[in-house]
Amino acid sequence: MPIKVLSRLNRMLERITEQLFLVCAVISAMITVLIFGFMVIFGLPLIKGGQFFHLLTQPWLPYHNLYGIYPMIAGTIFIASLGVVFAFPLSIGCASLISVIDGGVFSRVLRRVVQLMTGIPTVIYGFVGLFLLVPTVRELFLSGSGMCVLSASIMLAILIAPTMILFFVDSFESVPNSYMQAVDSLGGSKVQKLIYVVIPESWSGILTGLVLALGRALGDTLIALMIAGNAVQVPCSLLDSARTLTAHIALVIAADYESLEFKAIFACGIALYIFTTLLVVLVRSFRYNSRRGQV
Amino acid sequence: MKKRVFIGGLALVSLIIFSVAAVYAGALDTFRGENGSIKIAGGTAHIPVMKEAAKRIITFNPDIQISIAGGGSGVGVKQVGEGLVDIGNTGRKPTDNEIAKYNLKMFKWAVDGVGIIVNPRNPVKKLTKSQLIDIFSGKIGNWKALGGADKEINLYTRDKSSGTRDVFWKKAINKGEISPKANFVVSNGAMKSAVANDPYGIGYVSVGHIDSTVAPVALDGVVPTLDTVRKGIYKVARGLYSNTKGNPAGLAKKFIEYLYTPEGQKIVADKGFIPVK
Amino acid sequence: MNRSLEIAIAVCSWLCGIVLLGTVCTIIGYIAFNGLGTLKMQLLFGDINPLDALLLRKQVFDGLFPAIVGTLLLVILSVGIAIPIGMASGVYMAEYANDRVKKVFSLLFDILASVPSIVIGLFGFTLAVFLHKHFSENIYPSLFISSISLAFLVLPYIIRTTQIALENLPPKTRLAALALGATKLQNIIYVLIPKSLSGIISGVILAIGRCAEDTAVIMLTGVVASAGVPKSLLAQYEALPFYIYYISSQYRNTEELLSGYGASIILLVICTVLFFCAFMIQRGLTYRALYRA
Repeated sequence: MPIKVLSRLNRMLERITEQLFLVCAVISAMITVLIFGFMVIFGLPLIKGGQFFHLLTQPWLPYHNLYGIYPMIAGTIFIASLGVVFAFPLSIGCASLISVIDGGVFSRVLRRVVQLMTGIPTVIYGFVGLFLLVPTVRELFLSGSGMCVLSASIMLAILIAPTMILFFVDSFESVPNSYMQAVDSLGGSKVQKLIYVVIPESWSGILTGLVLALGRALGDTLIALMIAGNAVQVPCSLLDSARTLTAHIALVIAADYESLEFKAIFACGIALYIFTTLLVVLVRSFRYNSRRGQV
Repeated sequence: MKKRVFIGGLALVSLIIFSVAAVYAGALDTFRGENGSIKIAGGTAHIPVMKEAAKRIITFNPDIQISIAGGGSGVGVKQVGEGLVDIGNTGRKPTDNEIAKYNLKMFKWAVDGVGIIVNPRNPVKKLTKSQLIDIFSGKIGNWKALGGADKEINLYTRDKSSGTRDVFWKKAINKGEISPKANFVVSNGAMKSAVANDPYGIGYVSVGHIDSTVAPVALDGVVPTLDTVRKGIYKVARGLYSNTKGNPAGLAKKFIEYLYTPEGQKIVADKGFIPVK
Repeated sequence: MNRSLEIAIAVCSWLCGIVLLGTVCTIIGYIAFNGLGTLKMQLLFGDINPLDALLLRKQVFDGLFPAIVGTLLLVILSVGIAIPIGMASGVYMAEYANDRVKKVFSLLFDILASVPSIVIGLFGFTLAVFLHKHFSENIYPSLFISSISLAFLVLPYIIRTTQIALENLPPKTRLAALALGATKLQNIIYVLIPKSLSGIISGVILAIGRCAEDTAVIMLTGVVASAGVPKSLLAQYEALPFYIYYISSQYRNTEELLSGYGASIILLVICTVLFFCAFMIQRGLTYRALYRA
């Protein structure tokens, strides 16, 4: 075939494949929007009735026709924040150990173990939590059934710690080597290196890791479903049984889907979607600011 | 003479064996050569019976697919009504509304009770109705008030779509309040293992599910056992229903008919319920 | 900062490491200790002859075989859907997109990556209801819907790893083929992708691991407690993580509980094997195996 025709065919092929790639990217992007769209459409009767904001502040009492998701919002915030509070010091400690304080065998083993932990399925944490942690909490605190905010937060902390640790280790290790050598040349110890150089330099990385972990904690379903007790009350103490938005969706999905009760779970979905989107935007603003700061 | 008696006896015995086998095989025979699937969803109390029946049918004829899901009686009604499943199980009689809306046909194949259970280590084994109402509404919060240990009472309850909960609410606590502090579990099986693992818990479960891991509580002097439910002495009872949309047809019809055969009813009895035949 | 404070900080770090290690060992040890005794053929196949079960001549009732097959089918289907779309999107983002498009898409992909899995499950469920009403009466929550939903769940992983792998290639590699007269597409297919294969494959393995262990999405889109090996895409199915969840709260006797431990061990082994594969790949072994055989 003459070269001109071949090269024209080639160019067409190029353009077609570029469009094909574009279509795929658009489909993927559209899914994000569609998820939100479907939830809004299906939850429309609630929003139209002007009840959406009531939903966010009322208790869940189906026998009184009250389908507010406020207890679940409180439960989610309580359990997720507590999980992050437990996980943060643990993660900073482990990350410091791995990248700064110890460079030997233990830290190498720990790093591999942490990487392995990121692959452990959530359901296994829930399973072990149910049979090990819950009775322990029940006997230790002599009150409640053991299925409470405390147990769920502890297990959640163990779940999110590995990802946090790996993220912190990455941040710590991206501190320029020259800084580390500078401390060494001044005769500083490892701990001094950590406190005065590594942590201040990786501050934005630490914040980002924190927010990412919070997002992961907010979105977790199984641990709260299996361990937190699922009572529909606003938890007032660590030993109270509580329900998160995610567990609520899993529990109510079985209900009659024309009822208002079911529609309320779309409100849960919308609330979760908005929470996590806000967190994503927050993380992006950190990165943007830190890049500007370093110019 | 002896030989003839012997041969006659042998013939009689073989005849009996063959006819019993024929009856026995006959129950599953309707499934011979059949091909297709049955989808079942709904009440969690029915699941053990459903699973055993499905196992026998499928072992007899591997070309049949039977899938069983739980979800509670509300799910059973809704999904069979919307045509998502072929058979919807309920642990309560479907309401007139539901029957009219979905044109449901009901088939009651067992009688069951809803019994209150506590952990076997709990010394409190009998309650009056008014005590029960106070416990579940949260008024009585400590086992001490009932003669037990000085520990908080941990309530366990089911969600709104549960037929077991419905019967408990109407007949055992006279439609009283259930405290929002109660822990939620998703099925009869879950209720049983929750109370079995919690020395200070109390909950309600299908009588057929009660075994040695939990202790039944006598309500107004009547202990919930198969006997008391069958004789009508224990009042908190309900039927186990399988419902179809319109008249059942095909494999679903055969499945339901199988539940009524002697073999099917024996499965019901084995699993701890009271057969209707 | 005085000496004792420094020592205290170092000790705390060591304590954190020890606590974490101890926790992992407790979790894995507890499961292994209780479940090791159940790892026999009977766990997988119940009372049925293994050969009959594998050839699908008979259905297995009291065994994990249907759940394992269900999980396997799910992984294959969802990763099969996610890989083409994800890789194409990743390539577009790395090679063709201009800055504005990149910003918008990258924000949307980040949001998709952080959406809770149960919300994606909810979306899958509503998709099933929608298709049931408007397209075909035969569509309900099933293997088909679950695999699409899981594909949505892991799409961001594949897109991100493809994009990063491609973007991290040194400029020399990018320009070499172009300098020799290759077109952009030829460059991508023959040079860039093979070079970034290890990154892309580790993304795929991440996706496989996620599909194998996820429970929230499949709970809402078609997994049931008992269904045998699914015979069609529109059938309901069983899965390993759901089995563990179900057994943990609804076991009827000690045998069933022990089978839950056994199932946990199997799931852990699957995830560990995947982890090792990813580890090997990151050491560059794939490239050597595929391109220098």
